[in-house]
Parts: sequence; structure tokens; C-alpha cells
Amino acid sequence: MSEDLKSKVEGWLDAHWDSINNRQVGTAIYDAKTWLAKVVDAGYATPTWPVKWHGLGLSSKEARVIENAFQTRGAKGWGRDRYHLGAITIFKLGSDALKTELLYELLTGPICCLLYSEPGAGSDLAGVRTRAVKDGDEFVVTGQKVWTSNAVEAEYGMLLTRTDMDAAKHQGITFFIFPMKQAGVEVRPINQITGESEFNEVFITEARVSERFIIGEYNQGWKSFQTAIASERLIMGQGITARLGGAAAGKAPALLQLAHKHGALQDPVLRQDIAQALAYRQLNALNMLRAKEEMMKNGASSLSSLGKLAMSRIQHGEARISAKILGPQVLFNETEDALNANFDGAKAYMNSIGGGTDQIQRNIIAERVLGLPKSMDVSRDIPFKDIKSG
Amino acid sequence: MLEFSGEERQAICDTFDRVLSDNANEEALRKLIETESGFDNSLWQKMAELGLTGLMVDPDYDGIGANIQEAEALMEVAGKYLYSGPFISSCVVAPVLLQASSNLSMVGPHLKNIASGNSIFAIAGCGQSGDWTEPPTVNAIQNADGWELSGSAHFITHALTASHCLVIANEGGERAVFLVDMHDYSVPAKYQSTDDKTLRLSNITFNGTQALRLEDVGEQQIAGALHLALIALAGEQVGGMRAMFEITIQYLNTRFQFGEPIGRFQALKHMAADLLVDVESASTVARIAAQAMASGSGDSVLLTYLAAFTCADNFRKVTADAIQLHGGIAYTMEHPAHLYWRRAQTGQWLYASSDKCRDLYLLEMEAKL
Ligand SMILES: Cc1cc2nc3c(=O)[nH]c(=O)nc-3n(C[C@H](O)[C@H](O)[C@H](O)COP(=O)(O)OP(=O)(O)OC[C@H]3O[C@@H](n4cnc5c(N)ncnc54)[C@H](O)[C@@H]3O)c2cc1C
Repeated sequence: MSEDLKSKVEGWLDAHWDSINNRQVGTAIYDAKTWLAKVVDAGYATPTWPVKWHGLGLSSKEARVIENAFQTRGAKGWGRDRYHLGAITIFKLGSDALKTELLYELLTGPICCLLYSEPGAGSDLAGVRTRAVKDGDEFVVTGQKVWTSNAVEAEYGMLLTRTDMDAAKHQGITFFIFPMKQAGVEVRPINQITGESEFNEVFITEARVSERFIIGEYNQGWKSFQTAIASERLIMGQGITARLGGAAAGKAPALLQLAHKHGALQDPVLRQDIAQALAYRQLNALNMLRAKEEMMKNGASSLSSLGKLAMSRIQHGEARISAKILGPQVLFNETEDALNANFDGAKAYMNSIGGGTDQIQRNIIAERVLGLPKSMDVSRDIPFKDIKSG
Repeated sequence: MLEFSGEERQAICDTFDRVLSDNANEEALRKLIETESGFDNSLWQKMAELGLTGLMVDPDYDGIGANIQEAEALMEVAGKYLYSGPFISSCVVAPVLLQASSNLSMVGPHLKNIASGNSIFAIAGCGQSGDWTEPPTVNAIQNADGWELSGSAHFITHALTASHCLVIANEGGERAVFLVDMHDYSVPAKYQSTDDKTLRLSNITFNGTQALRLEDVGEQQIAGALHLALIALAGEQVGGMRAMFEITIQYLNTRFQFGEPIGRFQALKHMAADLLVDVESASTVARIAAQAMASGSGDSVLLTYLAAFTCADNFRKVTADAIQLHGGIAYTMEHPAHLYWRRAQTGQWLYASSDKCRDLYLLEMEAKL
């Protein structure tokens, strides 16, 4: 079965994807929209979803066959059922009408940005102050978001808003899928410690969103948001952000290759560090495999919430060891290896801060997985408008 | 050498702090980073007027005649501002090496120029290893006119700003120190692309470069030069980590989440308490090591290495955790945390790596067996 699938996908790719020039066969430049539409139409963007929703109804193991074929050819558009948070959330929570209206457009466009964090609401996301006020069958949105990754490119964002100031903070939130390309949305890039500017400030002034675009229920957005954030943390637990990531199938891990290249495997102290780092990465991968099996069997796995926290230790640790392997030459951004090590050292904070900090992850694991007594949230049960802020 | 009381030392530090807070604050630092040289000469001249550049120059040559204790204390102030002028090379290491020379008529004018701010000294102490304890990578040969140097030296701070460079070179299998006038040095050096933008580093290739030898400056003085540099750097790291720590504690008191200052969360309290142990241990050992060196105590070398790796590693730890404790705001270039964090990375490697110093510390301990 998977051999059939493999040759089918490969045949399809060979017919349509020009892997030498990285574009669709018969085109002069890569055009994302038309290529993505082609992939979506073939069902390869979201193979684990039902045919009705642009998928092929395949298992995740079969989906991996498709992804591999795409990846080895450098073809884009695979794995949107794993990485396109906006589409995933609409697929899981949207009504059939909303799915019909938006899913295809989302899948064939750039990924959605996440309009969650605000200057005053980071770890305490339920403290969002961006207002959405009902006006006919639309909502008028005003507020400021911050740290919004990919807001420049995004055509849609998933937006957390305050819709009831008198309710307790978790009760007065509404979650939208929000059109970014409209008057009243201003995006200002922020320079990041990695040298990138992928996240932004987003100023929203009387922008509009249809009430059809509510994800879940009005004033019950916190609940639907939990689904979206869980998907995000699952992705981060796989550690896709660092340059020096895990190993491609059958290849030696990147850290080991670096150590080998620079003769560090002769050093008994570094050997210990490297072995431990590789072990942390492998143990996490094994845990995540087990989580996947448990999910398939039981629909849920408590292990899945450990991955993102584990990945922080892995990424910070590997970056430090890379620096040690390079020695003082790491001070100079003059080689690819030094650039990568310095980039990864900074980027590791994306994992340990973004998507919920390590401290918050530990609280979640302790309280939701272990069932330890919840810590006090003095702002939990009072009307939102009475909460103290710094 | 003069003896300073604690109050006198504090007074010098307060003066330096005022000068830096006026001229080398974060805004000034960020402007300086964008310049070619990364060096503010007008600030250097102000420091010279206050006698700071002559801190360790003997009063006979217009200096203050202070010792490493005062230098360590001043470096704590420098570290607070991430001040990156050539203080360690020009005002700590160079005066001590020059004063060790028996040829006073040769070194005297240089000492006066250091004190007056007219000369700035760089030190070339190592090759690609970045390690001053490794054999020199520059060789010295005597010729009819004096000495010639050949070979490359690396990890030199402020080479392009310096008017002179002291080069630790191999002469007939022994280490010796040579003085190069950078105006005569014809090969154009370039600053390298450092990840830590606050500090300028470069390498220099000598190619039959004319040099003068510092008479009677040998193995013992060269080892001493490394120890001076390590203690001064340790002081700088203490200043840097304390500044970052204080910014962080203030943030824990003022940032609200869940209706409370985040400092109320035990996870953060515990991290902060652990960091305080790191900051205070580093402060203590940097000062004790400086004191031991100043008084010539038998444990001086051991304490120097202990200070070196403790301060380097704790600076790294404190700044790394400071970013985590701030959350997203410290993931931005606009926030100063990454400047301290990157400087701490540099400090892992300058003069001798923290791992090397840890090893040397154990060697000193083993000598007690
Ligand atoms: C690279 C990157 C990309 C990001 N992309 C996005 C994005 O696309 N969209 C988006 O909405 N957001 C994004 N974020 C924001 C991210 O989700 C927040 O930075 C994060 O949730 C922390 O919030 P904060 O920055 O306000 O820090 P704060 O919440 O102010 O946290 C400060 C410190 O307090 C600690 N803390 C807070 N509460 C507790 C508690 N109860 N117990 C213990 N410790 C606590 C934190 O762990 C942290 O150490 C991104 C962040 C990064 C770094």
C-alpha cells in the first residue's frame, strides 16, 4: 500500500514539480498560490483529512510517505494538516459552513498569524484587552497585539478578543479568524535577538470581522483557543525552529556531524556533553512517538504536553555545546557553523518563551497532567474590568 | 605602589560611574556599536583627565600608581555599562608589563603617554586558540636594527584604535614581549564580524614587522599579565551580571500577569534566588582574587583562575536566565538583555577559556597534594 502510494506521489511530483528550479513544471517563477492550489486539489496538503475537506483520509504514517517525497524534492505545500494552525483550528472547530467558506482559501494561502499576546497579556493570555464590539452582523475590533509572528505575510490571523468587560476574564473572550488585509490593521516589524524580524506589533483600529468568523462560541473563545494552543505546542515539541535540528531519516544528527567535522569527538569531556545532548533529543523523539500511538488508541496522551518543555533543554543545550565545539571561533559570524551556533543560541528562546514559557508549561504539566493543586490566580473570578495590571 | 582605602577606591568608582552614565549609557553604546572603530576617543580623553588611564602607571610617570584591586573595582563599573574601551589592555596589562622592563628610558615616555591618554596599547597574546597560556604564534628574530616579528596573532581587542601593541612572541624557545608602533605597522587590519557587537576584535599578521624588546620581561611577567587580564575581566563580568540582575529583579517587581507582579510566582523567586548566589559568589571571588594578587598572597594564582571561570560562567548563566525571566520583551534587539548575554559569550573565551581556567584551577589545587 505505502509502496503504491509512494510511487503515485513521486509520479505526481515528477510530472508537476521542477525540483531543479524549485517551481511548478512549465512556469517561469514559483507562484505560491497556484502551486499550493495544485497540491491542495491533489489532497497532498492535508492527506490525513477526509476527502470532503481537501484530504485523502490517510493515516499519519501514510501522510509521512507523502511528506518525504515532497521534502526530498524540495517541493512546498506538504504537511499543512500538521503546521497550518489556522486551517487546523478551523478544521477542528469550525462549522461546516465556515469550513466551506474558508478552508480552501486558508490552505492555499500563507499560514495564519496568531494574534494572541498583547503588551499586558503574555503568560496570562486570558487577560487580553483588544475589544471586539458587535455591530450588526459584524464585530468592530480595536486594540494592540505584540510578538505576532509572520503578521506581514499573513492574510488571516487567529484573534483573541475581549467581548465582555463585566464577566470574569476567561468568560468574556471571543476567538475569531480575522482578515489581516484591511484598513485599520497596521503591522510594525520588531527586531529580534536572532537578527530576524519575523514577529511584529499589530495595531488594530476599528477593523472589521464577520460574526461568521467566530471560532467556537461567542464569549466562549477561551475554550476554542485551548485547541489552537495545544496544536501549536505540539508543533514546538518537535523542535522545528533551530537551524541545527534533528537528523533527516537515516542520517547522523546535526550536532554529531558538527562535532565530527571539528574534531571534537576526540575530547572526552565534549563526548559526554554531546552524548547527553543526543540522548535528550532521542528520548524526546521516542516520547513523542509513544504519545502519537497513545493518541491514536485513546484520542489523547498526557505525554504530548512534555515535548515542548523537553525541546527547550535540547535546543539551549545543543547551542551551548555547538559553541564549545567551535571554540573561540564562535565569536565571529564568519563561518556558516558559527552563524548557525549563534543563531540557534538565540533562537532557543523562541521555544522556551514563545507559545507559553517553560515556567507556564511546567505549571500546566503539574496541574493538568499530574493533577496537583492549582496555583492561585487572584484575577480569575473577578470582573475583568477590576483586574490590576502593572 | 600606593595603598588605597576602601573609601578612596569607592570615590574613584563613583567618579567613573558618573562619567560613564553621562557618556557611555545604553543610548551612547548603541550609537557606538554602529561606528567603525567602536571607540569613543572623547570619553577616553575625559578618563585621562581624571587620571583613570594612568590608574596603574607609577606616579613617577604621571600615573596614580594604584594596583589591581582598584582596577578590578573600576572594571565592575565598566561592566555595568558594557563599556568596551581598551582599558584592560592599555591601562591594566600594558603598564604592568612596561614597568617590568629594566630599560626605563625606553618605557618611561610610553607610560607617560598612556597616563595622558595620548597612547593606547593593545596586547597580542595568542593565536587562533584564543589562549594566552598556549605557545606564542608570533616569532621574534634579531636583526641589525633590533627585532622583527613574524606570524599571526588573534583575538586582539581594539587593534585599530591602538597606537601601540605589546606582542607576546617566541624568542629562541622562550616567551618575550615586544613593542610595535602601530603607525609603522603597514598591513591593514580589519575588525572581524563579531556576534557581540559591543567589542572590537581582530587579528594581525606580522611580516618582518620592526619591534622593540621589553628588556627582562619574561615568563613570569607574561604569566602575570594573563592573571591581571583575567581579574580585570572578572571584575567587568561581575559588573555586567549585577546590572542585568538588578534590571531583572526590578522587572519581577513591576511586570504584572494574572493580576500580580510576576515576582510573586515561586518559580521565578527560586530562579532569582539561585542567580543571587551566582552574582554574589562572583563578586566575592573577583575582589578576593584581586586582593590576593595585590598583596602577593600564595593563593593568588589559584584564586585568579577560580575568579576567571566563576565570573565568566556566572555572567553567562545570569544573562541567559535574565532573558527567560523577562519573556518576549527580552527577545528583542531593543531590550539590553541580549547585549549583556552576548558579551558574556565573548567572556567565555577571552585570554583563556573558562574551561581552561577551570582546569588550571584544579592543577593549582593538585599542587597541594
Ligand atoms: C519568537 C517568539 C515568537 C512569538 N510569536 C507569537 C505569535 O505569533 N503570536 C502571539 O500571540 N504571541 C507570540 N509570542 C509571544 C509569546 O507567546 C509570549 O512571549 C509568552 O507567552 C510570554 O509572555 P510575555 O512575553 O508577556 O512574558 P510574561 O508573561 O510577562 O512573562 C515574564 C516571565 O514571567 C514568567 N511567568 C509569568 N506568569 C507566570 C506564572 N504564573 N508562574 C511562573 N512564571 C510565570 C514567565 O515564565 C516569564 O519568565 C512569541 C514569542 C516569541 C519569543
